[in-house]
Amino acid sequence: MRSRRAFRPFAMRSRRTVVAIVATMALVSALSAYLSIRAASNSQHRATVIEVAGRQRTLAERYVQEVLLALSGAQADPAHTAALLASSAHVLLDGGLAPAVNGDDDEAQLSRATDPVVRGELQQEQRLVHDLTATGSAVLEGRDPAGVALTAHERIPAVDPVQRLRVVAALTSNVSLNAARSIATRDDRNITHLIEILVALGIGGLVASLGLAWALIAATRRQTEHFRSLVSHSTDLVVVLAQGCRYVSSSVASALGRPEAELLGQGFLRFVHEDDHALVEAVQRDGRPAQIILRLRNERGDWRHLEAHVSDLRHDRHVRGVVLNARDITERVRLERELTAQAQRDTFGTQLIEALEMADEEAATFDVVERAMVEISPRSPMELLLSDSSRAHLERAATSPTSGAPACPVQSPFSCVAVRRGSPVVFDSSDSLNACPKLRGRPDGSCSAVCVPVSFMGRALGVLHATGPVGQPPGSDQVSQLTTLATQAGARIGTVRAFQRTQLQASTDGLTGLVNRRTLETQLRGLMKHRRPFALAIADLDRFKQLNDTYGHEAGDRALRVFAKTAQDVLREDDVIARWGGEEFVIVVPDLNRHQAVSVLERIRERLAAAHTGGHPAFTSSFGMTDSTCAESLEQILHLADAALYDAKDAGRDCIMISDAGREVASGPVVLDEEASGAPSIHPADTFPPLHGGAEEEDPLPSGHEIR
Amino acid sequence: MSDVWPVRARLALGLFVVLLATGCGQAASHSKPESSVVAVSERDFAVTAPRSLVAGDVVFRVENRGPDSHELLVVRASAARLPMRSDGLTVDEERLQHREVGVLEPAEVHAVRDLRLHLTPGRYVLFCNMSGHFIGGMHRLLVVR
Repeated sequence: MRSRRAFRPFAMRSRRTVVAIVATMALVSALSAYLSIRAASNSQHRATVIEVAGRQRTLAERYVQEVLLALSGAQADPAHTAALLASSAHVLLDGGLAPAVNGDDDEAQLSRATDPVVRGELQQEQRLVHDLTATGSAVLEGRDPAGVALTAHERIPAVDPVQRLRVVAALTSNVSLNAARSIATRDDRNITHLIEILVALGIGGLVASLGLAWALIAATRRQTEHFRSLVSHSTDLVVVLAQGCRYVSSSVASALGRPEAELLGQGFLRFVHEDDHALVEAVQRDGRPAQIILRLRNERGDWRHLEAHVSDLRHDRHVRGVVLNARDITERVRLERELTAQAQRDTFGTQLIEALEMADEEAATFDVVERAMVEISPRSPMELLLSDSSRAHLERAATSPTSGAPACPVQSPFSCVAVRRGSPVVFDSSDSLNACPKLRGRPDGSCSAVCVPVSFMGRALGVLHATGPVGQPPGSDQVSQLTTLATQAGARIGTVRAFQRTQLQASTDGLTGLVNRRTLETQLRGLMKHRRPFALAIADLDRFKQLNDTYGHEAGDRALRVFAKTAQDVLREDDVIARWGGEEFVIVVPDLNRHQAVSVLERIRERLAAAHTGGHPAFTSSFGMTDSTCAESLEQILHLADAALYDAKDAGRDCIMISDAGREVASGPVVLDEEASGAPSIHPADTFPPLHGGAEEEDPLPSGHEIR
Repeated sequence: MSDVWPVRARLALGLFVVLLATGCGQAASHSKPESSVVAVSERDFAVTAPRSLVAGDVVFRVENRGPDSHELLVVRASAARLPMRSDGLTVDEERLQHREVGVLEPAEVHAVRDLRLHLTPGRYVLFCNMSGHFIGGMHRLLVVR
């Protein structure tokens, strides 16, 4: 069973193949060298063989001449030549030491002929040499050469012995020459064959090397594919910087949605955020810092944040660059920003709530709102439009101190789309088809805007409105902060208004709208505390019970309102009139004494007589007056005024009576409101001060005098 | 149906080609009669060949049985003997040029070569003219009828 090999991307797969290539080339080279050396050696040897073979022709011809010389009696040694011929023929055939020929060649060592054709020729030559020397010997000995048995199958018809000898010599020469030619031809063939072998070896070696090289390339390619697969499927982004971008992994191209060709070279910097250019160039130049965060723009124009680990591999000959191993942290950055924004919003919200808690009036609330506007966006025009008491009209309550108001022309809360929807509305451009019509025609031209409704307990109070450049409306963070501001400001304004309304209801009389008895006592104590003199009068509508009984309570109520209105018309702004209870009113005229204030009461009385009563009979009022100089305490002053009122009633009504200091109080005590006075009760001793004092003589209008 | 027709078309075309080739072959055989092949061998030192032949085209299939190299010359014979050169060892080929019928250059042992000739009736001599071979016995008389 075949076991699965472990995946080892770093293994040196090519070593065995390289060894095989080198071994093949070495083997081919060694074989070629061996064959070349052997061929050269053989060629050298064959040259000697050819020389000896060729020499046989000369020796054969010399032998014939020497035979002829010997026959003519000249000095010759044909036997020696015959021996040379025979010896040479034998050595050529079977190898050995070829004899030297005087004046021609030295001895030479020959090897045995191996080629069958050459051997056949040499054997024939050997036979012809035998026939030649035998014929020669017969001629020299005077025998008939025709009787010599020829061994080489020659059939010579000539009868002349010399001619016969010459023919045999010619045959010997011819076969020797042919043998030499055959040896040379075989030598040529051997050389040709050697060349062919060498070529075949070269081709074979080359093919083998190419095959092994192909195997090496395939192995390298597989290894490269392994690495490519590892790198390509890795979530890490790999960038190599060297005089621009030399390499980007496919994960980079995928993350940015751009083809690799666009990112390579100087194109890489085009997609780097402008603020990060210097950082990338420094990394490329110095290989530092070790950790960077850079921004790259993807195909949609969004910025991707990459956290990269920098490796300076410029000295690594396999890389020659600075390598960035990066990962996309855009989502992390977004979450961090959201958390930061949320924290800022929380801080903003907390501070806003604390600030609004300290604002006890609407004006203070608006001040907080304006400061919050600057906090949210100091460059965006903003305004807070709030409805008035009728809730029909919107008025500008707060404006951004730094950027002013965007001046929305909306008139009423329900003309505002944000108020109608009850949620924030953002407009990218006032020129858009779906933009709020109230954004168009602004003095500053086209704009973007956000409108956040302001409400309290589900009731619309107004709208918070901010504008910005076209296409750049306030961001989500700002909208969120504006929403917080609108919510908190609405809650605070609603609370302040409710409190003010409650306070107003607690301090005024519901029928006449005048301050009530408790409020009056508070104000009187304030005057006395500051020792501000005042005149005080108690007014009582004459025959009010009869009016009620005759014309009903509505007529009575109307009479009370008429009196209140008439008195208010006469009194100054600082003067105070309060409904004391029933048909009784208290009038306080600061900075005047009881005599000076008579004229004031007189004008009230005159106006009352002329007042329109709505079809019912006119009514009158009686007044009892004193001032703060007549008594030490408020209760005493009130008793003096009340005593004077009784005097006025006794005097026939519709008149003004004045009580001076020291006057005895004839009627029961005047009870102050416990909550307003802050005292649990008034001691009887304090509530019955002397009604008549020593200052009566100084008074131009004596006590008890009726003024009509 | 469409599959059958191309098969038939191919068969018809193949038959046409076969017939055409056969016809051409027959026409060629009729226009040019086949040459007779005559075995001729050479060895040291003899030439072996038929003594007579029928006139016409003939192919001498010449085999050198060695051990020496040999050539072959075919010349029309005359009543006189072949002229020899002055060395007395080789035939004077220059003087035989007008009678020369065919020549095969020297070949190594075991070589087999064809010599195509058109022989008219007469006497011919086949011989090797390498030095001493003719005198040594390498010649053959051939009669063509």
